[in-house]
Amino acid sequence: MERHARAVSAAASSTESVSAQKIAGYGVATVAAVLVLYPVFYLLQAALDVGDPQTRPPTAYGLDNFEALLNYPQIMLNTLSVSFAATLMALVIGFIMAWILTRTNVPGRLVFEQLMAVPYYLTPLLGALAWSMLGSPESGFLNQFWRALGGSGHVIDINTPYGIAWVMALFEGSVAFVMIGAVMKSMDPALEEASQVIGASRLRTMLRVTLPLVIPGVLGAAIFVFAEMLGSFAVALVLGTPNRYYVITTAIYQLIQQYPPRIQVAAAMGTSLFAVMFVMLFIYRRIVTAGSYVTITGKAFRPRVADVGRLRHLLFCVCVLYLVVSVVLPIATLLYASVQKIAVAFPAADNFTLDNFRAAMSMNAAGSALTNSLILAFATATIGIALMGLLAWLIYRSRLPGAGLIEYVVMFPQAVPRLVFAFGMMWAWLAFPIPIYGTLWLLLIAYLTVFLPLGVRTIAGVMLQVDKSLDECAQMCGASWMFRMRTISIPLLVPGLVAAWLLLFIASVRELGASILLMGPHSKVITPSIVESWFGTASELTATLALIQTFVVAAAVAVLVVVTRRVSTHVVN
Amino acid sequence: MAHNKHGHITRRALLKAGVALPLVGIAAPNVLSQPLSKSPSTVLDFQTNADVAKAEQEGQLVFYCHENEAGTAGIMQGFNKDFPKIKTSYVRAQTGALYSKILAERQAGRFDVDVLQLSDLAPAFDFQKKGGYEHYESPESGAYKQDNLSTPKGYFFWTGVDPAGIAYNAEKVTGSDAPKGWKDILDPRWKGKISCKISASGLQFVQWYMLRKLYGDGFWQEFAKLQPHAFDSRVQLFDRLSKGDDTITAIGEYPAYILFKSRGAKVEFVAPADGLVATPLVVGAVNKAPHPEVAKLFVDWAMSKRGQAWYQTNPNLYYASVRTDAPPMPTGVSLTQFKLLYPQDWDDYSKQSATFLKEWNGMLGL
Repeated sequence: MERHARAVSAAASSTESVSAQKIAGYGVATVAAVLVLYPVFYLLQAALDVGDPQTRPPTAYGLDNFEALLNYPQIMLNTLSVSFAATLMALVIGFIMAWILTRTNVPGRLVFEQLMAVPYYLTPLLGALAWSMLGSPESGFLNQFWRALGGSGHVIDINTPYGIAWVMALFEGSVAFVMIGAVMKSMDPALEEASQVIGASRLRTMLRVTLPLVIPGVLGAAIFVFAEMLGSFAVALVLGTPNRYYVITTAIYQLIQQYPPRIQVAAAMGTSLFAVMFVMLFIYRRIVTAGSYVTITGKAFRPRVADVGRLRHLLFCVCVLYLVVSVVLPIATLLYASVQKIAVAFPAADNFTLDNFRAAMSMNAAGSALTNSLILAFATATIGIALMGLLAWLIYRSRLPGAGLIEYVVMFPQAVPRLVFAFGMMWAWLAFPIPIYGTLWLLLIAYLTVFLPLGVRTIAGVMLQVDKSLDECAQMCGASWMFRMRTISIPLLVPGLVAAWLLLFIASVRELGASILLMGPHSKVITPSIVESWFGTASELTATLALIQTFVVAAAVAVLVVVTRRVSTHVVN
Repeated sequence: MAHNKHGHITRRALLKAGVALPLVGIAAPNVLSQPLSKSPSTVLDFQTNADVAKAEQEGQLVFYCHENEAGTAGIMQGFNKDFPKIKTSYVRAQTGALYSKILAERQAGRFDVDVLQLSDLAPAFDFQKKGGYEHYESPESGAYKQDNLSTPKGYFFWTGVDPAGIAYNAEKVTGSDAPKGWKDILDPRWKGKISCKISASGLQFVQWYMLRKLYGDGFWQEFAKLQPHAFDSRVQLFDRLSKGDDTITAIGEYPAYILFKSRGAKVEFVAPADGLVATPLVVGAVNKAPHPEVAKLFVDWAMSKRGQAWYQTNPNLYYASVRTDAPPMPTGVSLTQFKLLYPQDWDDYSKQSATFLKEWNGMLGL
């Protein structure tokens, strides 16, 4: 009798659990689908629009805009080659730095780890501006020094495709470190220790044990970074256009700026990238589902780092070098430029000025735009973490039918340059009956949409490492889905969730492509304002604005890191 | 202006406008709604038909502008200084993107804009055809030639012109080697060292149109062989010029020259004997504006001597005023001292847009 009652109670609990899962799963899937597919519909409609470009809804449909893409083979080739080179550089840098800082006892490891996030929130525009000042063939400071020392011509040309890829890798690709690092942190060191115990060298262990275990993280990062590179705008704009080197985003930018704008061709150009993205996603899913990458199991472990002996000094130098080229040199260059009337390598008293700071402080960008950006970033990260966490769980953990399809939907925004996706969002939310157009709410929705791939991919990388058996074990004991989420899944994921929250926060502050078009007169945000400044004022004033943004965001992030650490410690305890 | 050579509204034009009106969500042609006579009042030192008390009650101006961030903010600052009770806000983008945005908004039934400023007459004509402008004849119109006003009057006006010649880096080019006329920019020695603007620029379109008329189709084909570097804004062109990244620019805008010269840049300006190419910057009140009295007040202020002085002396604008009684520019040079080259047949100019875009984008590898 008692056994029977227990069985009935377990069955009831299981039914209740499935029902809660279904409600949560399908609810969040619906939200994601609306956020993504609603603007995608308008985007596809524009790509197929062959009628009067100034009239909406379209008056005629056809494939002419896709046929027009055949006129741009060089641009397509430029985009793919520079994106590939930049992704490769970003992954190599990201993997090496993540390995050094999470798996070895390099001196100052914790400090370096904090500093590694800096290139990400420096914004690609700041990086491109700084490296443009450093490495332009004629006016670049490094080349001026070179000629002053008796050299001729230039020693570095940042306007070449390799130069562009280098800056993209440093500033757009630094997310690879965060994504790979998050995975490495959650890895049980016993596996590497076992490898070394049986005589494998450190390098062999890294290549044969560490690397295969972080493959989901690396692949996730590769897909994400490649898509990020395809959509990279600021770096290609600042460094590519002076050399007549156009990629899809800069070409699209030209097409939508001119009168009459060729938005339809731009939409076709953008949506054609869906195909590239889906092939990559398909490959990723095949690899991930083919193997097991679980590193967090029911067996307890304490994250430990390996003693690498004297190699630690060399690794220390690698870390310092990376931070010099990605943080110290760019910031020092912009600081130096910001106190000059016209930025030149050699200082002169009559060229010194503080007017750039005075002018910057009086501009909207330094005041309301920065405040709006911080508010939006906080809201995007907080709402986003819940939404994207649930989506990651839905895709990788739930057994609900159709969950795999959601991943493809979620990746849509990453496949299209945000400059183009923003048009879809503008048309979509203009037609929406609730008047959110032109407000910060629209930007919040836009950010939640365009950062779905970033958030889901980051959380998924960590989630894949948590053994399902922990959850299943609790389920067998009769724990409900909500209870299991609260007591098992979320606490195990907290370090990853905190990293994802910070990533979303920073990504929101530096967002450019979508904001340019969706900002209203009362909803300005900072990064587009800085780009506007670059177009319309001077590189010295733009450098000043970028520095102000960086320092304010750095201060905000420092506060948030302290708070989130406390929260995270509290939750885990 | 050749746009409507007769200077009045024809029955056909009205019918056409009637067809276009539903597209932009207009209930009735506003040209008919304006009172026929109303005596203007004097505010500060200019004339206006706007009810200033009502405008202050509306309390807000929403301005859409092609000008760069600093320039747009500068215009708002000037108006707000004179009318501190009216808060200002703006959206800025290049003319193409800005025009697409305002059209999309209006087609969706959103009317958030009071005043629109564009750097190209082609979209301004289109907006007028679509019935997007509010018809408002400013009492300050008398200080402008008909050529610098819309046809018929009251839809938009030229708030200034942006004249451009040739500019070069004085450290890289000596005075004797400097180009003297437009044809000198075709010298092969400038290959890879010359700059121009992208096709989004209204001024670049005017230059392409006018020099093609003067020197024939081959002029730009020769220019393409120099592999010019193209940029969005005048500031970028002069920024590169002052640092030696480019040696000369084929489209050196006079306002940017004044700005960079004042910063101590080693740049020089050449006014070719055949004339400076110039593009009008056009301002008009938008119909169904959320703050209609403010829109009128702004148009009057912008047309007035006071507003024009602000446009002409603000370092981020330095627009040359086309008011008949305009004072000289900050350099002491008056616009009348320059021979200006701009299209006389604006209809023909508008029709050449597709050819220009194709040729210019093709030249840049786009």
